[in-house]
Amino acid sequence: MDAGLLEQMLIGALLALSVYLPLRCGQLSLATPGFFAIGGTVAALLSTRIPIFAGTGATSPLPALLLEMTLAGLLAGLLALAIGGTVLRLRGIYLAIATIALVEILRVITLNLSFTGGALGIFGIPQPFTTTAGYAGFTLVLLALVCWLCARLEQLRLGRAMAAIRDDELAAACVGIDTAQVKLQAFVLSALLAGLTGALAAHFLNSWNAKVGSFDASITTLAFVVFGGSRTWLGPVIGGLVLSALPELLRPVGDLRLIVFGLVILLGPVLFPQGLITPQGLQGLGHRLLGYGQQLRGYGHKLLVRVNGPRRP
Amino acid sequence: MELIQLLLNGLSLGAVYALFALGYTLVFSVLGVINFSHGAVFTLGAYFTYLLIGGQAGANGLLAGLQLPVALPFALALPLAGLASALVALLIERVAFRPLRQRGSDSLLALISSLGAGVILVNLIQLLMGAESYAIPIGTLGSLPAALRFAGAQVRTVQVLLLAISVLLLLLLSVWLEGTRSGKALQAVSEDPVTAQLLGIDSDGMIRLAFGISGFLAGVSGGLVGLSVSIAGPYFGISYGLKALGVLVLGGLGSVPGAMLGGLIIGLAEAFVPAEWSGWKDAVAYGFLFLILVLRPQGLLGRPLGTKV
Repeated sequence: MDAGLLEQMLIGALLALSVYLPLRCGQLSLATPGFFAIGGTVAALLSTRIPIFAGTGATSPLPALLLEMTLAGLLAGLLALAIGGTVLRLRGIYLAIATIALVEILRVITLNLSFTGGALGIFGIPQPFTTTAGYAGFTLVLLALVCWLCARLEQLRLGRAMAAIRDDELAAACVGIDTAQVKLQAFVLSALLAGLTGALAAHFLNSWNAKVGSFDASITTLAFVVFGGSRTWLGPVIGGLVLSALPELLRPVGDLRLIVFGLVILLGPVLFPQGLITPQGLQGLGHRLLGYGQQLRGYGHKLLVRVNGPRRP
Repeated sequence: MELIQLLLNGLSLGAVYALFALGYTLVFSVLGVINFSHGAVFTLGAYFTYLLIGGQAGANGLLAGLQLPVALPFALALPLAGLASALVALLIERVAFRPLRQRGSDSLLALISSLGAGVILVNLIQLLMGAESYAIPIGTLGSLPAALRFAGAQVRTVQVLLLAISVLLLLLLSVWLEGTRSGKALQAVSEDPVTAQLLGIDSDGMIRLAFGISGFLAGVSGGLVGLSVSIAGPYFGISYGLKALGVLVLGGLGSVPGAMLGGLIIGLAEAFVPAEWSGWKDAVAYGFLFLILVLRPQGLLGRPLGTKV
């Protein structure tokens, strides 16, 4: 497979996880592209303006990338912490609209400030990896790490508290969960993840402008999660991988590809209201695989009997 | 620019936002969902209007060079475009909303499926008509002059027309909602669809009606904006749609007078942004939106939000 496409898919999966975290506690936040854009801007500015980040020639040192990702994640997380207390008092569609507004405000700011390059953006961001495969490998490791953390999170007190808030916020508060705090933590984690992903994506894309964090991106990332399923971390990952690959895979259909993409987004919720991946589905799949395994063992046993003859007592 | 022109710009822009936001409001009040395909229906209305007045499709789409055999006057083309948009809105209701509603799914899902419908529409327009911009020529208005003298100042006729038609539609809608049986029935459905159904109101029918009217409003406002500003391409409805979300929340979700007030405030505020700051104009609506959400989440005229157990 084309490494560039793989990289896009992996970034899509990371962003989907960023949308998933607040959604796990029932909070529909569409702010992910805003934090993604901030992260990318941080990395683009650092690596084009400051010599130690820029490295020599066209390549930049890997530790610089890691530092940029940390800084980008921290900045996005801090912003989320600053506004989260206020924004997260809103519920449902109000929170969604407020976060759309946040993304749009950030976009207008980036568009109008001179040091972010205005409408053209920032060009010639140095490359820490010489090949696209290098990026894909690095991002694969990052995604695996984030998936592991998310899977752990679901087992931890915080993850369970998040699920409790999603199912019934009032009941969760009654059993002593500090709902405001848990929601804020999920929001900050989501921003952090989006921010560091942005820093990585800025290097990969080589240029960065205000268009990256737009309403379209908000909706696409949400579609990743809704399509994949928002009950467990695997859903958004699959949704992100599949839907980011789709426009590219549909290239043979030519002009129709965005229409087909729209059809997938339209029919996804209608056909799979829970998303593709659900815990029940996974359990069912597990049982079925186990069943196949036992069946196979049965076949193997019969085969052995046929070859060796019946076992004598 | 003269004050009166600025004021008129603000008012007509505000009226368009209000029409747009009312389309959202109608659907939101009966379903509790934001219909994200609304912006695409608005765009569609503008293209319908353009074609109905005898405009020719550009060179880049599949319909390259197509021209309808009849060129209707604008006064006829606009309502027809509105009706066609209403039909599309009904189709969207059928495909993207009804299957989910019948299953009692999470309203979040309708948000996504309606967006999918919007993506399809916008790209269908691009496929058929190309990505170029179109302008509805002022000559369509027949013998009306391009500019009027009003209180000692020059104002564009188009702006006056835009404002007049929008205000007329807003008034009609208010009268319908408050003064007629079907308007009251719609309000009952927005209060509680199940109870309304028990009381003999056809809830599904009212939901279809809400979609139809909202599509009509979107189509007409699209045509009007196409006339006053030009159609900047298949995506031009999206930014209006996003700002109308701001209008919606500023006024209060589900409140009809609120949508009008919100439209007025944001339209005027945008018109009075000085020219040297025009790059920041787009942030005005979202700034307002953010402020109101923080200070008064139910909006200016909305009802307070309670927590249901």
